[in-house]
Amino acid sequence: MKRLFLIIMIAILSYAFLQSKNILSVSAGVAIFLFGMLSLEEGFRFFAGGLLDKFLKKLTSRIYKSIIFGAVTTTLMQSSGLVAVIAISFISAGLIGLAQGIGIVLGGNIGTTTGAWLIAGFGLKISIATYAMPMLVFGILFIFQNSKKLKGFGYILAGLGFSFLGIAYMKEGFEAFKETIDLTQYAVGGFKGLLLFTLIGAIATIVMQSSHASLVLILTALAASQITYENAIALTIGANIGTTITAIIGSLGASIDGKKLAGAHFLINTLTGLVSIGLVPQFIAFIDLTAPFLGIRENDYALKLALYHTYFNFLCVALFAPLVERMVSLLNRVFVAQKIKESERDDVLFINDLALDFEDTAQTVLLKETKHLYANVFDIITKGLSIYKEDITSGMDIEDIIKIRSHALHVDMDEFYEKRIKDIYGKIINFAILAQGKFSDDANKRLIPIKNANLRIVEAFKASKHMQKNMINYIESDNEFIKAEYNHIRKNLIKQLRNMQLIFNTTEEDVAVLLLSKLKLDAQKYDIAANKSLDNLIRTNKITYAMATSLMNDTTYAYTIASELAEVANTLFVHEDSDLKEGREALILNETEVDDMTNNPDKRRSA
Amino acid sequence: MSGSKFITKIGELFGITPESDESKKKAVKELVKKLKLRRISLKKELKEESDIVKREALKDSIKIIKKQIKKGKDILDD
Repeated sequence: MKRLFLIIMIAILSYAFLQSKNILSVSAGVAIFLFGMLSLEEGFRFFAGGLLDKFLKKLTSRIYKSIIFGAVTTTLMQSSGLVAVIAISFISAGLIGLAQGIGIVLGGNIGTTTGAWLIAGFGLKISIATYAMPMLVFGILFIFQNSKKLKGFGYILAGLGFSFLGIAYMKEGFEAFKETIDLTQYAVGGFKGLLLFTLIGAIATIVMQSSHASLVLILTALAASQITYENAIALTIGANIGTTITAIIGSLGASIDGKKLAGAHFLINTLTGLVSIGLVPQFIAFIDLTAPFLGIRENDYALKLALYHTYFNFLCVALFAPLVERMVSLLNRVFVAQKIKESERDDVLFINDLALDFEDTAQTVLLKETKHLYANVFDIITKGLSIYKEDITSGMDIEDIIKIRSHALHVDMDEFYEKRIKDIYGKIINFAILAQGKFSDDANKRLIPIKNANLRIVEAFKASKHMQKNMINYIESDNEFIKAEYNHIRKNLIKQLRNMQLIFNTTEEDVAVLLLSKLKLDAQKYDIAANKSLDNLIRTNKITYAMATSLMNDTTYAYTIASELAEVANTLFVHEDSDLKEGREALILNETEVDDMTNNPDKRRSA
Repeated sequence: MSGSKFITKIGELFGITPESDESKKKAVKELVKKLKLRRISLKKELKEESDIVKREALKDSIKIIKKQIKKGKDILDD
């Protein structure tokens, strides 16, 4: 379908270019302008990784702050699309809430109005191509530099240059049109005309994927008197509706919250558009009344359209800013995440393509998905010990847990792996590798340990799977000695899992730092004690050789589970807050320091 | 805020200058302060605890904290 559309477009445009040089000039102008916008976005992406992330997190705590943030960033970047993508990406990663995201979108609508003013007041009045040339030359010069910041600056400069050049071509094309054909003869008046041109404006924006490009086209056509003022207003309304489709397409790969934001964007702009269509005569009268105060001449329709665009978007914010919380609850009711039953196949919850756009979102998403995988593995490890995850969080005495869970739980570990681990694990590793190839070395330094934490989680699962078979046999064994040994393994792992849950749930940093060191110490101490106990049992013939071999292997597996999960807890805790990362990391005891405490400098035997 | 500190802050915000050791030291200082308070409360708990296993666990925790505070002080003295 897409390919067919492309072929039809190429055929129509080729025919039009053969018929009129002016259409070619206008189309080339649109193409150059769009290329400029792409280059501008690319340039801002070089800075977005650090600067925008920091601003977004700090300046969007309140709705009004989000609106201001959206307005300022869209004004600076002249791309509401990029700001919306950033907002969707941050919402998907859980860095900001839906309400803040809606605030950014509302602010973005205000920010786009500056573009209309710049084009109508500056771009159409002077020879803009003169400014484009040096920008392009210096822009390209900077793009070839090694420094990322200079490269980003180069893209921004080149983007502006191309945008200016595009506007110049469009202006030239429409001016030339004036001499050969009068497009206003196709103008349609009345309500029918409003609806028709709104639709044309929306379709043109969907095709060009840029409301800015549509607006430039409308303004240049209006300045050259090729469309009527009323039709230009309708096209502007259409462009505002059409731009939401870009966000909807962009949100297809996003999380449910990203989809909610795209839904909000569509709702806000479409409803404002519908209200505005009904109020066009009133708007025109109001503009005629207020334009002289701003020094806009009566026949300067381009500036009047910029003023209309401003009123339209301010109306949009005035209508919806007080309703943000209600919109959030409405969207939460409309977009409901599917709940997965434990027995069903589980999938990633946070990973999405949009999260790969920025370093911070990629790291946050990776961290959250790792916690998701950890939660699934935590669940199966407890079942492998013939207990339930609720026992860990219950606060019940460990001895009592062992007493009430004296019967073996027969769980199919392979099935669990297929349904609730394999896909998530695969997607996490794939995401981490993609992210590693995309971001700076500094970002990779943060991503690699999180990726490795996933490998450790799966190692812990494998150890648990190997241990399960003997665990099932021996916790119901007639030999009290082997039963006691396996219950001892269970007790130790319950204690370790409990401490890990405490680390994830505590708000007290010192408690987490202490527990993380304690996890390592306990794993070491238990391992030493278990080996001594095993030697005793073999010497005194209290267990058979087969039992001894099993116990020896399973002690190793238990150690693997404890130590791997301790490292996972360490990584997840340390990387949770990038500002505190180094301080936390510095105070958690490392393996050598733990060895010193247990007076066990020898490396552990290999399994 | 002095001029140089202001420039450093702006630089850090814009990602122009690498973050200094200052932020690490600040985080360590805060954490050491909290750990010292935790050690006091654990020592109190140890005095009141009669269960041998729990006493052993508390002793381990105090030993760990002692080592962590020492590590923190070394970083701060650097």
